[in-house]
Amino acid sequence: MATVVSPRARRYVEELDRLWEERPGVLGWLTTTDHKRIGILYFFTTLVFFGAGGVEALLIRSQLIGPNGHVLGPQAYDEVFTMHGITMIFLFVIPMTTGAFGNYLIPLMIGARDMAFPRLNALSYWIFLGSGVFMYVSLLQGHAPNAGWFDYVPLASKQFDPGNNIDYYGYGLIFNGISSTIASINFIVTIFKLRAPGMSINRMPLFCFAFLAVAFALLFALPSLSVAALFLELDRQLGFHFYDAAFGGAPLLWQNLFWIFGHPEVYIIILPAFGIATSIIPAFVHRRMVFFPLVALAEILVAFLGFGVWVHHMFTVGFSTLTTVYFAAASLIIVIPSAIQLFAWITTIVTGTPDFQTPLLFIIGFIVYFIIGGLSGITVAAIPFDQQVHDSYYIIAHFHFVIFGAAVFPILGGMYFWFPKVTGRVYHELTGKVSFWLTFAGTFITFFPMHIVGILGMPRRNYTYPAHMGWTLLNFIESIGSYLLAAGLILIVVNLAYSFFRGPQKEPPFEGDTLEWATSSPPPPYNFAVIPTVRSPYPMWDKEDRERDNKRLEAGEGLLNLGHETPATTAEDARLDEILTMPSHSPWPPLTALALTGMFVMLVMAHYWIAAGFLALVGLTVLGWHQNEEQA
Amino acid sequence: MTDASAGEVPRSAHAERSRTAAAIDRGRQAQPSGWWGMVLFLCSEVTLFGTLIGSYFYLNFGAHQWPPPPIKPPEIAGPTVATAVLVGTVPLMALGAAAARRGLRWSAVAWIAAAFVIQILYLAAQVLLIRHDLRTFTPQGNAYGSIYFTLLFAHHAHVLLGLLLNAVVLYKVARHGLTNYWLIGARGLALYWYVVAALAVAVLFTILSPSL
Repeated sequence: MATVVSPRARRYVEELDRLWEERPGVLGWLTTTDHKRIGILYFFTTLVFFGAGGVEALLIRSQLIGPNGHVLGPQAYDEVFTMHGITMIFLFVIPMTTGAFGNYLIPLMIGARDMAFPRLNALSYWIFLGSGVFMYVSLLQGHAPNAGWFDYVPLASKQFDPGNNIDYYGYGLIFNGISSTIASINFIVTIFKLRAPGMSINRMPLFCFAFLAVAFALLFALPSLSVAALFLELDRQLGFHFYDAAFGGAPLLWQNLFWIFGHPEVYIIILPAFGIATSIIPAFVHRRMVFFPLVALAEILVAFLGFGVWVHHMFTVGFSTLTTVYFAAASLIIVIPSAIQLFAWITTIVTGTPDFQTPLLFIIGFIVYFIIGGLSGITVAAIPFDQQVHDSYYIIAHFHFVIFGAAVFPILGGMYFWFPKVTGRVYHELTGKVSFWLTFAGTFITFFPMHIVGILGMPRRNYTYPAHMGWTLLNFIESIGSYLLAAGLILIVVNLAYSFFRGPQKEPPFEGDTLEWATSSPPPPYNFAVIPTVRSPYPMWDKEDRERDNKRLEAGEGLLNLGHETPATTAEDARLDEILTMPSHSPWPPLTALALTGMFVMLVMAHYWIAAGFLALVGLTVLGWHQNEEQA
Repeated sequence: MTDASAGEVPRSAHAERSRTAAAIDRGRQAQPSGWWGMVLFLCSEVTLFGTLIGSYFYLNFGAHQWPPPPIKPPEIAGPTVATAVLVGTVPLMALGAAAARRGLRWSAVAWIAAAFVIQILYLAAQVLLIRHDLRTFTPQGNAYGSIYFTLLFAHHAHVLLGLLLNAVVLYKVARHGLTNYWLIGARGLALYWYVVAALAVAVLFTILSPSL
């Protein structure tokens, strides 16, 4: 980090401290536009939703621990497994990776002082919170979505699901999608425009490449989900016939639209995990990532190819052989960029000098489970096998190894890795390792037997099963595994919570390679006293550059201290182009999100004119937003 | 505009006069953040309309007859003329954005206002055309009606949003001048209308496809 030595430099820093001072108290958090505070808000909110999704998972496993279980009735079971899926995907993994990790880290990694649109950034958080609360209110009301996270029609149509359970789903996902769309635009512009001078595209951290790919994938995938959900609500609430075969509609239209979104979604979930892995591995194996350009291209390619494989979720619906074979082949092609990354991680670890601390253990766990989930993924790309195991527990096993094993493990590793950066304290290493082994073992014991029970014929989503099917022992083992897994996750939370209050305040016991480590821990509101300049993808290992930062601080160069300022650079070569003045606090984002929440609540209740009134309120808040025009 | 710590790099938010904002705009090596934001928003919008149009043809190709009887294929003349009028506002918006980039505040206002009036007339004509359609079939009658009216309503909502943006930009530029913020706003607004016009053509060909 830039070291403040002379009184002159200290004066500069004090001036920046004064300019960027955050409002204290609850009002400060409500009106903040600081990307780090917004990242922290995302983190704790998604953690709460993760807890809720975890409780739902434990309820499911407790119901299935033995035959003829009575923990949940069939209706409650439907709601719980649907909310588990929705929560983990839309309210935990995506907002945790993009919202918490992305928000907190991307501006720091690229040497910026904030996101490109700080108020939009706040808006995306408050909309996310509104959409999450909106969907969970339905569970408290006993009207939670209950047709599974992919919500197939005609089961989800008004005829077969007449309550407003599905309306919470349809409107909830449109609402949530607004947040993700705003966030993805913000990430792309931030990465294109706010990189530190010298950080040309080829010097950008692989973490940022992964998030750039995710943001583009979100931008182009979400409209399909929004249109699908819009059609669903028009059918359900206004009597349209998009999905009603009796009136010329097509139930398969839903499946196509959903999976055109749904498969890129898998890569939206897992690409940030790849990004986190490429941050953690170099720091603990003390060498640069091998095949850097190939890994960067593979990250982008995975996101791109993810748009061409959606029909592999629909091999049993009766498409022509030509169609299914095309999509099976396309699905297999994704192995290539995935394998490039996999071999790059493994080669980097093997050829380095690994220090097996907790974050690296989680990345190794991720690699192991990504291989298992990837291999079972290849099996379900084989059409006859897929048709055999479709809608069985084999599929549950496959995607939990991918989504939990491969996507969540790096999140957990990342929580340990950046904990010293966010808090200025160090976690307890031994407890961290114990939590890893508990989580690793729990994951394997929970999900691996599901392959077998699936091949034995156990269908997903049945609320119970009879004793004579031969599934009892395997289900018992899975449920015990889930309790072990829960214990591991709780231990992580306890370790980090304890360390937050009592952990030693010292430098982290590893050497990160990206710019977030160039500033103090936790970082000041302006991130960097001096805007760093960059000459390689590993700017923290370019010692002479960081020493030059210190000298520039002493000389008062590159401070940008006439307001909330950050430099804008050219998109490709990162040449300094202009100095931007960023907004500070604003009450408008939470007010806009509040009005939008009101609108969606009224839509579920079918009070359309009141909903229109709330939409007008949204317009008014946006006008209020623009009264302060100098803050672009 | 500049100081020692930033060298000769402009501080764009300090440009509160039309001429200085225009000078900064001309001096940029790369497009500003607001321009990128609008481009990406429009990418999302185009994908959304692409999905709606794709859904139209998905339902079309699965139907025995399209439109199903007794609905007649749509008339060509009225919607085509209306769309041509909307496309005709594209040069006006382009001139408005170009004037803004030269720092010509009132010229920009005049071009955008001229486009604004025509766009209002376009939307009014479209409302009349839709009322006419609703007298013969409804969205609740069958899947054709559902996708036909949804596509049109989505397009009209898009136009309405553009009109609201026009009103805000016109008011702000007329009242406060072409600051850096509203200069980028005017450029973004022009981009928005280019895409609305392109989508109007795509929507037109889609809904007229049974008659072509």
